[in-house]
Amino acid sequence: MGQHIITEEKVFGELKKAIIETLRTDEGKIRPETSLIKDLGAESLDFLDINYRLEQAFGIKMGRHFVLEHIEEMFGEGTAIDENGQLTDKAVEVLKIRFGDNNTDFRPGMDMDEVPAQITAQSMVRGVMDILDSLLEKCPKCGNSAWQSEDSVRIKCGSCGEAAAFSNGDDLIKEWLTKIQAEKKLF
Amino acid sequence: MLPLKGKVALITGSSRGIGNAIARAFARAGADVVINYRKEGGSSQEQAGQLCEEIEAMGRRSFMVQADIAGKEPVKKLFTETEEKFGRLDYLVLNAAKAPFKPLEKLFERELRQLVETNYIGNIFCIQAALPLLEKTSGKIVFISSLGSRFYNPAYPLGSMKAAMESVVRDCSESLREKKISVNAVCGGIVKTDSFKVLRQFWENIDALPEELFVEPDEIADVALFLCSPGSRGITGQTIVVDKGLSNAICRLPGK
Repeated sequence: MGQHIITEEKVFGELKKAIIETLRTDEGKIRPETSLIKDLGAESLDFLDINYRLEQAFGIKMGRHFVLEHIEEMFGEGTAIDENGQLTDKAVEVLKIRFGDNNTDFRPGMDMDEVPAQITAQSMVRGVMDILDSLLEKCPKCGNSAWQSEDSVRIKCGSCGEAAAFSNGDDLIKEWLTKIQAEKKLF
Repeated sequence: MLPLKGKVALITGSSRGIGNAIARAFARAGADVVINYRKEGGSSQEQAGQLCEEIEAMGRRSFMVQADIAGKEPVKKLFTETEEKFGRLDYLVLNAAKAPFKPLEKLFERELRQLVETNYIGNIFCIQAALPLLEKTSGKIVFISSLGSRFYNPAYPLGSMKAAMESVVRDCSESLREKKISVNAVCGGIVKTDSFKVLRQFWENIDALPEELFVEPDEIADVALFLCSPGSRGITGQTIVVDKGLSNAICRLPGK
């Protein structure tokens, strides 16, 4: 799977638009490494608004819940966040695999409320790209492999005109966690 | 004509949405207004600051207090500062709310506790802390509820807390009768605030509801204001539904 129709630059461009509309901030302040919370003052409701705008733009469904919530839903309460509301060793390990070691500051014992501040524009772009990359090789309606986009945001079948369908963000996180668990047996 | 001139209103969770509209409505009616927001240094602090400036530009006094109502100490601070700065409190509008959006059966223990701590215990902390001030003014308490108190909403565990608070409103209206403090609630329909942006992510096709069934924040604010005016003196312990008829229209096709 994967697609080469919508580029990362395009996704970043749409994300910038969504952030500007939601937070009324200047475009110049938004860089890939910008933390929406620390640098732009976003709050949890703002994220959902930004996600909604991205969904409308690309015709996708973003994850409703963060990786930590999915870990606890799949492997039990307490596996990612301990009774003091702090990250467990295993949660940190998963977050580092997902977001990379270099750009983030996750550590065991970190307060769960500090976690969202680690979300950067780049990590949101990656979330959108993951969803777009779930595009099937062939159109499920006509069986042809002729995906295209006229406006670089919406993909449709060049053969039958069917709009592209993607996996939703939550399912993709769950699939990814299942894969990580199979490899690493963390939980 | 400024019916609330010289009076003081405190609205919890008033940086955005319905709370923001209520703060403006009370200021327009002449009241000085205490703005409350939860999170320090974020977008709501900024919006609370702008709101204070707007209210002062109307010629009223206003100040903002950062306080998470889920904690007893922050609530104490909220009311101590109100007394220090304005010397009185006439109207307490309980608007602040915070809840995750997922089905009740999927809530983790900490989410359940937070749900109750903010939306039930926090509101009662506010009532308790406000009493000494409200007693002196024969003040009024208005709770902002929503249709979630009586109808199922997808992924809206806040509804059960709204139901609990409507019951608290009934109880307190009787127990505070001797103190001459009136307690009522406004139950809002679907309002296009920031929370709505969240709700629509869990409620497919909510955008397809006809525009006339959506409630404006001002329409809730005006009823909250009415419940603090002499015209409502006969109403006590009640929850007034302000939903543009949504709850009656729901069983038939809109417009038919």
